[in-house]
Amino acid sequence: MSQSISTQEISRTHPAKTYNKNWQKVKAAIEGYLYLLPSLIILTIFVFIPIVTSFKLSLTRIAPFGNKTIDVGFGNYTRLFSDPDYLNSLKVSLLFTLSTVPTGLILAVTLAIALSYPLKRLSWFHRLLIFVPIVISSAVTGVLFKWIYHPVVGYLNYLLSLIGIQGPNWLSSKDWALISVAMAVVWRQLGFNVIIALAGIQNIDGTYYEAAKVDGANLWHRVRHITLPLLSPTLFFLFLINVINSLQTFGEINILTEGGPGGATNTMLYSIYYDAFVGTPFRGYASAQAYLLFILILIMSFLQFKGFGKKVHYQ
Amino acid sequence: MKSASKLLVLLLIISMFLVACGGGTEEPAAEEPAVEEPAAEEPAAEEPAAEEPAAEEPAAEEPAAEVITIEFWHAMGGELGDVVNELVARFNESHDNIQVNATYQGSYDDTYNALLASFDAGTEPNITQNFDLAAQTMFDTGRLVPAYSFDDFDPNVFVPAVRDYYSDENGMVGMAFNSSTPILYYNADMFAELGIDPPGLDSTFSDILATCDELQAGGVEYCITFGQVGWYFEQILANSGGLYFNNNNGRTARATEAVFNQGQGVEVFTFLSGLIADGYAPNLGKTWTDTDAAFQAGQAAMIFDSTSGALGMQEGADFEVKTTYIPHSDSSDRNGVIIGGAALWLIDSGDDAVNQAAWEVMNFLAQPEQQVTWHTGTGYFPVRNDMDDNPDLQAFWAENPNFRTAIDQLASTNTTMADGSPNYAVLGGKAGPFPAIRQFIVDAYSRVLDDGLSPQEALDEAAEKANQELADYNAFFE
Repeated sequence: MSQSISTQEISRTHPAKTYNKNWQKVKAAIEGYLYLLPSLIILTIFVFIPIVTSFKLSLTRIAPFGNKTIDVGFGNYTRLFSDPDYLNSLKVSLLFTLSTVPTGLILAVTLAIALSYPLKRLSWFHRLLIFVPIVISSAVTGVLFKWIYHPVVGYLNYLLSLIGIQGPNWLSSKDWALISVAMAVVWRQLGFNVIIALAGIQNIDGTYYEAAKVDGANLWHRVRHITLPLLSPTLFFLFLINVINSLQTFGEINILTEGGPGGATNTMLYSIYYDAFVGTPFRGYASAQAYLLFILILIMSFLQFKGFGKKVHYQ
Repeated sequence: MKSASKLLVLLLIISMFLVACGGGTEEPAAEEPAVEEPAAEEPAAEEPAAEEPAAEEPAAEEPAAEVITIEFWHAMGGELGDVVNELVARFNESHDNIQVNATYQGSYDDTYNALLASFDAGTEPNITQNFDLAAQTMFDTGRLVPAYSFDDFDPNVFVPAVRDYYSDENGMVGMAFNSSTPILYYNADMFAELGIDPPGLDSTFSDILATCDELQAGGVEYCITFGQVGWYFEQILANSGGLYFNNNNGRTARATEAVFNQGQGVEVFTFLSGLIADGYAPNLGKTWTDTDAAFQAGQAAMIFDSTSGALGMQEGADFEVKTTYIPHSDSSDRNGVIIGGAALWLIDSGDDAVNQAAWEVMNFLAQPEQQVTWHTGTGYFPVRNDMDDNPDLQAFWAENPNFRTAIDQLASTNTTMADGSPNYAVLGGKAGPFPAIRQFIVDAYSRVLDDGLSPQEALDEAAEKANQELADYNAFFE
């Protein structure tokens, strides 16, 4: 504010300088945009243009080889809602989110609390073991768990057999496939979640705890009434990120189950990939699905900020 | 002054960025037209941008006077890819004026998607490999140069089943490259130990089930194993003389309806899903590899698998692996198998000389010498019908009788009916969305095994979805 006033003052007295000042401003703006330019170019090519083209695609049906197009208006969208496979994928996505996000967050917060209090002196090596999945790509996780779940030579069923349990057919049984994939995803994301939660916990001022201790609060009370409320912004952030991540899980599904058996792990995202790129591609239909997913994520983010956001306790 | 130098640095960064973006292709297009700053700071980056005229053609064109480069995309990874490279190297050594550049593009799906993208970008290869089920889609691209259009193409050297599979009404379009069929492998030691006769070449479902009962009574954990992929259903359906699509499997007119939920189809699917439901086979889901482990570990006495795995199957087992033909339904006679695998397709480059050169490459790969290398190196069939007397192959077959089973199974396939008309069942289905429809059969297994539908109900459901796919696809041609 004060700056603009001073500019005006100067402008009244020194017209030549005004020009100079304005030019300075323009130059500063140009400079700013030039800094932005590299990322703008990348974003335009890989994000903005595809957003527009995929919307155009979603209004058409395109032959798999791309040289014949039929305009269908919003036909792809209306059809999605009568397609039992797509409705199933909505359900699968919901179940998948419900089984990964709460589990992942509870595990992460428990571990983070453990790491900051009772296990504070844990060696760097053990901490590393918890964080290490963070550097593993989803494809590698998929391959790793494929071996763990293998029905004939897998470790999981071998270990279960040692304690006398006959393990299920993890990946090819409709009841277990989604849970199996969810466990792999929770494991991979755990490192990231713990790091963020740990950072949040360590940011909490120690004086609160001291005061609580003076009042005779035990560990549970301290966690319940100090740690969790003050951690809520972090938790909110993690919750959002995890929901979006779970909706966008691809690598593990592709490698472990390919959406099967019988669509049991065919999430909304995998369904897009499948319709666009596998077998007989129908890109218009896939684009319509992509738009629905986009709108869904948008709505959810909005609701989460609106509803959830108010309850978050910022320090 | 300070901001001017800042701007300069910035420009440098941007030009470097653009150079980096230019990637492998020649010079960067240097979008930034130098602005007002002089070239003093960045002569290296600007220099070539000044003169960047219509030289749109790749470097290959300059010395093209003598050498034509043929881009060959394939989907053969690992050891298979090594054999492809060996064949390509052999071609390049023996041809001065044509050089083949073979590129592994990933799976069949990846290769196909790369091809699609290349049509848009105008960077299509000259030869591409694509798998059997995509034949109709490849025809429909309208971008192919058919094999029959070349003077020195002789359809008669090819095994009829192979030739007819990749033909349209005028003749053979794609060149069969890697062809395989399913066979029934069995653990010969296990059968010998239990004193049970292994299944014969002409087995019905009842024969197999009777053998299964004997095996499992003898303490074998599972009689048989196979992955829940669409292929075995297609093949055993063909062997039982059943059709997959109407209009003679889509070979006399575009397929408009799936008919695999009628007659033989139900019998075949009841048999296959029943093997798993009744505990004769483990439920390993949709897999090509987990089944091998079960067979090689001795858990299952038999396995349906591709002929192309014959070498690995014997190497991975510490017992003798023998092979026989796949079974057919009780109510049918043995018909034979559909040729599977993939073919090479010649994409029209618009330049006759280049097309001719690409054809030379394809023709070269079909020559006996290359076919021997290909067959012995990979297990895929030789696709010529004049290979039986080849001494190299005879020596190879003597050592690997399992390959011989596969070839005999194909050679003894009835490609014509008693009345001389084509046996459309063993020619295999032909439809644009076949790859998608195959997946419905995979789902049908799960519908029976997990959701308790009857095989008929599961197939009806699959057929309904298949009909929708066919209608969607055919709409492009109305």
